[in-house]
Amino acid sequence: MRKLVAGISVFLLLSATAKGELRIFNWAEYIPEEVLQEFEKRYDVRIIYDTFEAPEAMMAKLQAGGAREYDLVVPPDYYIAEMVRAGLIRPLDHEKLPNLKNLYPEFKNPDYDPGNRHSVPYQWGTTALAYRASEVKGKVDSWGVFFDPDMYKGPFLLLDEMRETIGAALKYLGYSLNDTNPKHLEKAKELLIEAKRRGLGFAGSVEGRSRLLAGDAVLVHNYSGDIFQIQEEDDDIVYVIPKEGGTVWMDAFAIPANAPHPDLAYLFLNYILEPKVAAAISNFTFYASPVKAAEPYLDPELLHDPAIYPPPEIMAKLEFIRDVGKALPIFDRIWTEIKAR
Amino acid sequence: MSSKRWLTLYGILVLLFLYLPIAVIVVLSFNDSKYGVVWHGFTLKWYKQLLEHTRIHPYVWNSAIVATTSTLASTILGTLLALGLHRYRFSARNALLFLLYVPVVIPDVVMGVSLLLFFAWAQRTINALHLGIGTVIISHISFQIAYVTLVVKSRLTGLDPGLEEAAADLGASGWVRFWKVTFPLIAPGIAAAALLAFTLSLDDFVITFFTAGPGATTLPIYIFSSVKRGVTPEIHALSTLMILVTTLALIAVQRVQMRR
Amino acid sequence: MNKLSRLKGILPTIGPGALWLVIFTLVPTLLIFYTSFLQRDPHGWLSGPFTLENYRRFFGISESGIDALYLKILGRSILLGVVATMVSVVIGYPFAFFVARSQHKNLLLLLVVLPFWTNFLIRVYAWIVIFQRKGVLNAILHSLGFEPVFLYPSWTAVYIGTIYTYLPFLILPLYASVEKIDWTLLEAAYDLGAGKLRGFWHAIFPQTLPGLVAGIMLVFIPAVGTFVISDLLGAGKTILVGNVIQQQFGSSRDWAFGSAAAFVLMAAVMAGLWIYARRAGEIGMEELV
Repeated sequence: MRKLVAGISVFLLLSATAKGELRIFNWAEYIPEEVLQEFEKRYDVRIIYDTFEAPEAMMAKLQAGGAREYDLVVPPDYYIAEMVRAGLIRPLDHEKLPNLKNLYPEFKNPDYDPGNRHSVPYQWGTTALAYRASEVKGKVDSWGVFFDPDMYKGPFLLLDEMRETIGAALKYLGYSLNDTNPKHLEKAKELLIEAKRRGLGFAGSVEGRSRLLAGDAVLVHNYSGDIFQIQEEDDDIVYVIPKEGGTVWMDAFAIPANAPHPDLAYLFLNYILEPKVAAAISNFTFYASPVKAAEPYLDPELLHDPAIYPPPEIMAKLEFIRDVGKALPIFDRIWTEIKAR
Repeated sequence: MSSKRWLTLYGILVLLFLYLPIAVIVVLSFNDSKYGVVWHGFTLKWYKQLLEHTRIHPYVWNSAIVATTSTLASTILGTLLALGLHRYRFSARNALLFLLYVPVVIPDVVMGVSLLLFFAWAQRTINALHLGIGTVIISHISFQIAYVTLVVKSRLTGLDPGLEEAAADLGASGWVRFWKVTFPLIAPGIAAAALLAFTLSLDDFVITFFTAGPGATTLPIYIFSSVKRGVTPEIHALSTLMILVTTLALIAVQRVQMRR
Repeated sequence: MNKLSRLKGILPTIGPGALWLVIFTLVPTLLIFYTSFLQRDPHGWLSGPFTLENYRRFFGISESGIDALYLKILGRSILLGVVATMVSVVIGYPFAFFVARSQHKNLLLLLVVLPFWTNFLIRVYAWIVIFQRKGVLNAILHSLGFEPVFLYPSWTAVYIGTIYTYLPFLILPLYASVEKIDWTLLEAAYDLGAGKLRGFWHAIFPQTLPGLVAGIMLVFIPAVGTFVISDLLGAGKTILVGNVIQQQFGSSRDWAFGSAAAFVLMAAVMAGLWIYARRAGEIGMEELV
């Protein structure tokens, strides 16, 4: 009995010895475990890693107090301006981020965050359709597989991300996915409500691809890298960008306004801009890296894969999702209605 | 067939219904197949994977800490409250009783968001109660206290008031009366209430979902987000282990009860 | 007792608990009510001025007429609660007698209690595994030569999941009453000339009421407010009022509307219970333990 008490006390003491703590809020399956462990070892810190399945949920968590709780958060590009306006993230001191020089020139001053004042580019990719070739007859080349009853090809899952999914409906209708015209949004809303009823409902990216693999769904709306990851396991899965176009996006790391450990956050940001680390990340996630200096360490197959680094003809079909400013609450409302009806 | 036979058959069918899903999970946790339900052979690899998945260990720890701390606090608060309600009549008594029923009668989701709202206001006004493991513990205590109080109070109501009076007649003061007379008699009730509170905390998902901060992920939260991402055999393994722990605890409780 | 010694007794016993309840139960509930009259600010937090807009939106009252979207959702939730409760009673009532009259009472009780104590998420997601396209049910149907059924996601799955999850919550308190039944009253009824049915109804059924009422409350309340079961088994296609509330405090970031929805749910549940309690008589909550 005494040994037990002693053992427990020692254990408690050991875990109480304050190690520095870094709290990261990121997508699931978006960073290799080795990269986290290497950082933990190098700086003798403990990383607490929380995940979210959709950026709207991330925003909600930050607003509910998370801006004080997390040291690092990974929003998609189009939310950064909104987060700055809402006072959720802080401007970055570039003195502490010498490795920013490792980025490709085009990412040093992106539209979504001029001068990278508030964020550090992390991974970029595209979002489009993925399907199981053996179970889908005919061509899959249009968002109509979701929105046109005549083009139904099998059970499908819509993506549980507001801008992406409303965007897909807008593009199917021939509009820009950054369109804020209420009449266009209404039409998109109607399409989505019908599509929801025709299909299997909504799923986040990770759930969507799991169910695609498991055979539950044969068509999903999902992110490029996530799909490429599972293609390694199952080559019956095909990724295609519809003729109406898809999205191209950049996820970026940001430091919340009241982060408890900002110094560690800066160390981590500098760390993921290191060439070998950036390459390790992309070699795991199958997304494109914004770090030019990582090229020599990237898996050459990935570096030259046109699906991951699309050529200009493909890029022309893709649109960046942009901040819609004051129109955001309108999108929120429509999204609520789509989910509720 | 006699009516007793029909009843027995019926009882067995209901039991099968109750256990079918649990059996599916347990069996699949040993199935050597990542996605299908078709049996591919026995394996322990999912359990191995689970144990090696070190990022989960803090979640087990969190669940344990939250459950233990909140049970301790709520049992003390609740027992005292039950005692006071049982002994004294005062003007606010009915209002307090009503308030006591609120956590029991209110749907989980309403209680969860009301606490989230409360913490958010507290953060913005007095810069306190930021989401973390503390807020989870506070939230758990808030529903446990109601159950503990009601359980202990009902045991107190079942006590023979003559015993307390006798002790008072013999000159014992209030607190002495409590420790020497009342407490031993209601101790089993307090234990039952504590066990109930502990289980409610361990199992809670909805209220924890709304009030947990970073690093405060508990096992139910982990299971939920994991299931939302796609059911895996590793989760089956975790579930099976949790079912095992529950079973052993239940058998232990039954044994203790039978011995008394 | 004199006033001082009473106060010395009340404060340490009632004091802490009452304070806790006021701060962490009463105030949050009042906050919900207060917030339901606020508005969403452009960044997703709250702002004045006070407005009835959230309630109008919930009840669908606008210039273009009544849009019953959220009322329908509330109705669906109440329907789920009522049906799940009724089915649980139908399944659970005879079962409680089965356990009470059996020779293996303790074993059976243990068998019923185990699912009750098992984490409810586990018991819910198991149905995903059973109902999914390539799940257990379809595997069995396939091996028997039948066509597959597509129960995931679906309302059927949500209903079955709800009934399954809360059935033990009905059986246990009901069993507590059934176990205490004085069967001699039945014999007395027979002696007085009652037939089997009337005898049961007048002599036995009233004795089961306390447990039955407690059990019904323990099924109805969580069923009406569930969001997990509809979220997991309905995959976002089956929206109940619990899901609406969760969404407003989550991705939709409209806490004001969410508070209004939460308040309406709370009021609906309280109203339902009050009506029910009035008709079933005053049964104390103590019975459930």
